Amino acid sequence: MPGPSRRRLRRTSLIALVAALALTAAACGGSLDEEGGGEEGSGSVKVGLALPASGVYEPLGVDMTRGFELYLEEQQGKLGGKEVEVVKADEGEAPDTGVPAVQKLVTQDKVDALVGIVNSATALGVKDTVSQSKVPLIVANAGADEVADGGDYVWRTSFTNGGVGEALGGAVAEELGNESVYLMAADYAAGRESVAGFKKSFEAAGGKIAGESFTPFGTTTDWQPFLSKAQNSGAKAVYVFYAGGEAVNFVKQYKSFGLGEEIQLYGAGFLTEGGVLAAQGKAAEGVRTSLHYSDQLDTPENKEFVDAYTKAYDAPPTVYAVQAYDAAAALDLALKDADGTSGEAIAKALGGIGEIESPRGTWSFDEDHNPDQPYFLREVQAVDGGFANAVLNELS
Amino acid sequence: MDWLDANLLSILNGLALAALLFLIAVGLSLVFGTMDVLNLAHGAVSLTGAYIGVALLDPDAGAGQFVVAILAAAAVGLAFGGALALLTGGVRDHLRQALLTLGIAMIAGDILRQLFGADVQSVPTPNGLAGSVDVLGKSYPVYRLVVIGLSIVIGVVLYVVLERTQVGALVRATVADRGMVETLGVRSNVVLAGVFAVGAALASVGGLLAGPVLGAQPGLDNTILLLALVVVVVGGLGSIRGAVLGAVLVGEVQTLGVALFPAYASFLLFGAMALVLLLKPGGLLPARYGAATGGHA
Repeated sequence: MPGPSRRRLRRTSLIALVAALALTAAACGGSLDEEGGGEEGSGSVKVGLALPASGVYEPLGVDMTRGFELYLEEQQGKLGGKEVEVVKADEGEAPDTGVPAVQKLVTQDKVDALVGIVNSATALGVKDTVSQSKVPLIVANAGADEVADGGDYVWRTSFTNGGVGEALGGAVAEELGNESVYLMAADYAAGRESVAGFKKSFEAAGGKIAGESFTPFGTTTDWQPFLSKAQNSGAKAVYVFYAGGEAVNFVKQYKSFGLGEEIQLYGAGFLTEGGVLAAQGKAAEGVRTSLHYSDQLDTPENKEFVDAYTKAYDAPPTVYAVQAYDAAAALDLALKDADGTSGEAIAKALGGIGEIESPRGTWSFDEDHNPDQPYFLREVQAVDGGFANAVLNELS
Repeated sequence: MDWLDANLLSILNGLALAALLFLIAVGLSLVFGTMDVLNLAHGAVSLTGAYIGVALLDPDAGAGQFVVAILAAAAVGLAFGGALALLTGGVRDHLRQALLTLGIAMIAGDILRQLFGADVQSVPTPNGLAGSVDVLGKSYPVYRLVVIGLSIVIGVVLYVVLERTQVGALVRATVADRGMVETLGVRSNVVLAGVFAVGAALASVGGLLAGPVLGAQPGLDNTILLLALVVVVVGGLGSIRGAVLGAVLVGEVQTLGVALFPAYASFLLFGAMALVLLLKPGGLLPARYGAATGGHA
């Protein structure tokens, strides 16, 4: 058979190019059909919701959209007494889709405030944009330590990677006494920050570390080599940071190689949160994690929230839903005080909202604009035929 | 002996991973090697198999139910493969094949996401195979041993069929000289579509068997495809023995290699692949016949 002629080859390259361009255009979201924004009088406010509607973070995006919309519904579609218009954009998986989505909301839709951002790299990528265009961004998930640093326009209702680990270190050190812990995490910023946070408070409390492994992020399918190292290190506990699919496979393998019985597994709460826990099932039983929320929290505020959420969406709420719910709450409080609906006014008002009553408990923004909030020690237990993160105690 | 003792689990685990990789990659290798079709939808076929496990197996499924799921995965894989063979039948150019099959993979991935959601799902280990056994003093999951055994059986059957039976001879002859086979009254398209379908069925079954280890979620199809491509590139195109060798090498690099040199974990796999390509650009054991050798081009 003769090979393809030069002309045909060039034609195929052209087709490939067109296809590639089509993909990029699709990824940017059909932005042409949006109405050009503009000021619509002081009675309404335009909020941009940048959350993943595709890619690996889609489940988080779904939960967060629900949390935000639930709060809005409870306030009859108003925040701070002002009619709210929500414009959504797909954050996607990474900055290559997330940053353009935010830019579109800011420049084209001219939103007054932004809520969302799951991916830390995206959050870091849009930090300058929102500050320059004076649109306050309420980060409702991304946990990289340096996302919020006290700049006027970036606020965070979620957590810092280091903070979640740091909350747990002291308690584990106390539990272990003279025994040691083995550290393990996915080898990317979130994993390293989480382990560093844990180490900080763990060592300060006199804990001993037997060793650590950082596993290739996104390509590790088999944790046995690392589990063997942990086992041979003589550690009596393991602290890990994994999320999503990696969390499921890790916890199942931890169980199937029989580590669960001898070595207590601790982790940042994302290890057993939401859909991840459903997929782990029985393998996760007994795993202990720290997080700023559990749907099992026994407070009137949380029970009311869980009931309303479950009724609306037929699924229990996750920490992600609460983070977005609280982002709406923060915006609500700020708009009540704000002098108008401009981004500048909202950002200024966010600094003075004080304490926020939330399903997770009462919290407020600290000087870096990160949440100063309670953390809980949770243990996976069988509840009503399924598994849930029972709250053992609050971590100090 | 100390070294062996410390690393026995890793070696065994490398074999288990290799068993899964072999089942998934052998179809990709045969289809590319014999039909000269670069099938980028192979990972999607495999993920379909995993989702069949999600759909058919409840958390306390027994071995019987698991066999039913395997047969269902094989049937769906056969159909998927047949359809792919039909669609790619007229497309000879590799770039177009890649575009076509990549498009199919995306559509299949989106359909699976619509059906099963974007959340990660788990495929339960069948009851009775969920425990661990003692292997030379270490506890090891039974299921993985069963996967190794099953994969060896399938590999041997495949080898015998292709090398020692009349059907296998027909496949080899079709690859070597299509025209001659057609003059004997055999429709070569049907033979090649059969190879495609069987390859896809193996990938689908491989995906199902990998389910209890890897789970099922959107995006896993790309991970699987990438690993399968590495196996094929390392092992050599179009040969069963190459796929075995490639799978074992990749499996051991991913487990034993990582256990010995944890600091280089993310680099080891592609480092090994680059080394093989430098020393033997055609892969370790390429086919002795077929399109890959340029025999009939």
